[in-house]
Amino acid sequence: MIHAILTDDEALARAKLRQLLDDEQDIKIVGEASNADDTFSLVQAVKPQLIFLDIHMPGMDGLDIAAQLSSSGAPTPHIIFTTAHDQYALRAFEVHAVDYLLKPFASQRLASAIERVRKQINLDAQSAGTAANAAAPTTQYARRIVFKSRGRIVFLPLSDIRWISAEENYVRIRTANETHLLRETMARLQEKLDPEIFLRIHRSSIVNLQFVREVRTEPDGEYSVILLSGEKLGMSRSYRARISDLLTNH
Amino acid sequence: MHPLIFVTSWVLLGTMFALQDWVLATRSSNYHVGLVLLIKAWGVQYFIWGFIFWVAWNLLGQRIRRTELLPLVVAGIPISLLCCILEEMIWVACFPRLPLNRPPMPYWERLWFNLDAELVDNLVIFWCTFALFRGIGHYQQLREKEEAAAELRTQLAHAQVHALRMQLNPHFLFNTMNSISSLIQIDPASADAVLEQLSSLLRMTLERGEVQLIPLNEEIQFTELYLAMQDLRFSGRIRQEISVEPELHDALVPAMILQPLVENAYTHGFSKTDREGWLTISAKRQETRLQVRVSNSGLGLLPRTVDRTGLGLDNVRRRLLLHYGEEQSFSIEELSGHIVRVTFALPLSFGQPELSPLTRYGVA
Repeated sequence: MIHAILTDDEALARAKLRQLLDDEQDIKIVGEASNADDTFSLVQAVKPQLIFLDIHMPGMDGLDIAAQLSSSGAPTPHIIFTTAHDQYALRAFEVHAVDYLLKPFASQRLASAIERVRKQINLDAQSAGTAANAAAPTTQYARRIVFKSRGRIVFLPLSDIRWISAEENYVRIRTANETHLLRETMARLQEKLDPEIFLRIHRSSIVNLQFVREVRTEPDGEYSVILLSGEKLGMSRSYRARISDLLTNH
Repeated sequence: MHPLIFVTSWVLLGTMFALQDWVLATRSSNYHVGLVLLIKAWGVQYFIWGFIFWVAWNLLGQRIRRTELLPLVVAGIPISLLCCILEEMIWVACFPRLPLNRPPMPYWERLWFNLDAELVDNLVIFWCTFALFRGIGHYQQLREKEEAAAELRTQLAHAQVHALRMQLNPHFLFNTMNSISSLIQIDPASADAVLEQLSSLLRMTLERGEVQLIPLNEEIQFTELYLAMQDLRFSGRIRQEISVEPELHDALVPAMILQPLVENAYTHGFSKTDREGWLTISAKRQETRLQVRVSNSGLGLLPRTVDRTGLGLDNVRRRLLLHYGEEQSFSIEELSGHIVRVTFALPLSFGQPELSPLTRYGVA
């Protein structure tokens, strides 16, 4: 059971969230607050794992609440921001929010945010279990990315990306059920990605190895990469040797 | 005009007369005169004229341009006489040894001698210049009028384009609200989803503000959202496909140019039948032009829609015309199998590509 609290100064907004969360079996709402002070005392009292935090509120805003919670030393709950404004997205990203929901949002969008919380809670539990790994491996590679796509703010964990293709000055990022066009170059993007996970297989494609099923030799002697989803991507000869090594290690 | 240039050109004119006089004098047997003296005399005379006219233009230029012809001539006669005499008075004072080959004369006698010889010449110079001033004045006025008219036309076009966009938004907004309203009762989850998408659309529109031309990529994102909304309403029975040549992502198109075309496909092509259908949007480069096509299956062109293409299509046509004039093209046609294809093309231009200030990578 994930214990969650809702902070929003509008009662109707909280009611809406409560109604949508009804469908999520493993989420239990353990408290509601309409301002910063109530939120702090609630967090202390019930120690929730998840907090839905509105940004625009009289007095202290949601971002300041988040900052204060994480500096308090106590374990910080996972934060999902809910707001009608998109201009705070970067700050929310920097305080390590799990997601940033733009009001109004539908149940599907909320469900995907909660799915991320579940994953993170699982990861936390795993790393706590293996105490030897407590000193988290410091990596310079990005774990997630924030951008705007179709009027939405996307906080995308890079592990959700299946593959990436180049389109002139843009890259197209493909997840399980969506594609996002982003103004970025392949080279710059590749720098940010962990080479253990993301592999350049072609001048214009990068693939997430976790979603690769096999590498196949075509009858004409060319190579192609088959994803778990069945998608087939062409591979340049020059990248061929590297991918075989990596696949045998995985 | 700068006074120095103005007066200098008059002095040059005088020098040319001096040269002409000198050439005549060298051919004549009983008249001898030095070139230096001639240049001095003519030069000073035209310098004085230049100065007088420059002062006159600055003091009276506005009136010369605006006054009716008759009062101008009436007022010009005493002024012209005054100017001619004044010019001669100054000139005579400058050259006490002239005229040559005559016994010395007092000032008034010399003035009389010169006026007698040159008054008509001077009057001709004065009135020619006067006419020239009037002509230049008229020309300037005409230019100013033309510039103002052009400015007005641009402003009008901007206002019209603006109004057209305003016309599009509410039209689409209320239709969507109506579908949300009907979904609230029968399928609350879908109503929620459409509302979310509508909010995203409005956010994009607000962010765009008054910008008329946007990168194709943004227009496509906007259209994708719109298509997703339609997809919900038509419960997935319409297959949608978008193909854009990658080099065209930054090509500029008028904002909200695709949505009316897609809307048209849905209202005329799909909503009157319950069969499965398809809609494709493609953007291609044709040398220096961008060609965009929206094709859909359905019922073909109804006889009604050929001449009266509806508000949406009419808007698209007018906006293309306002933005690109003769350089754009727009056509709607029916292909075999009741396929309707709308094609428009416009001159290819690229916007200043900007990196999204939002895109960031995080290590945690």
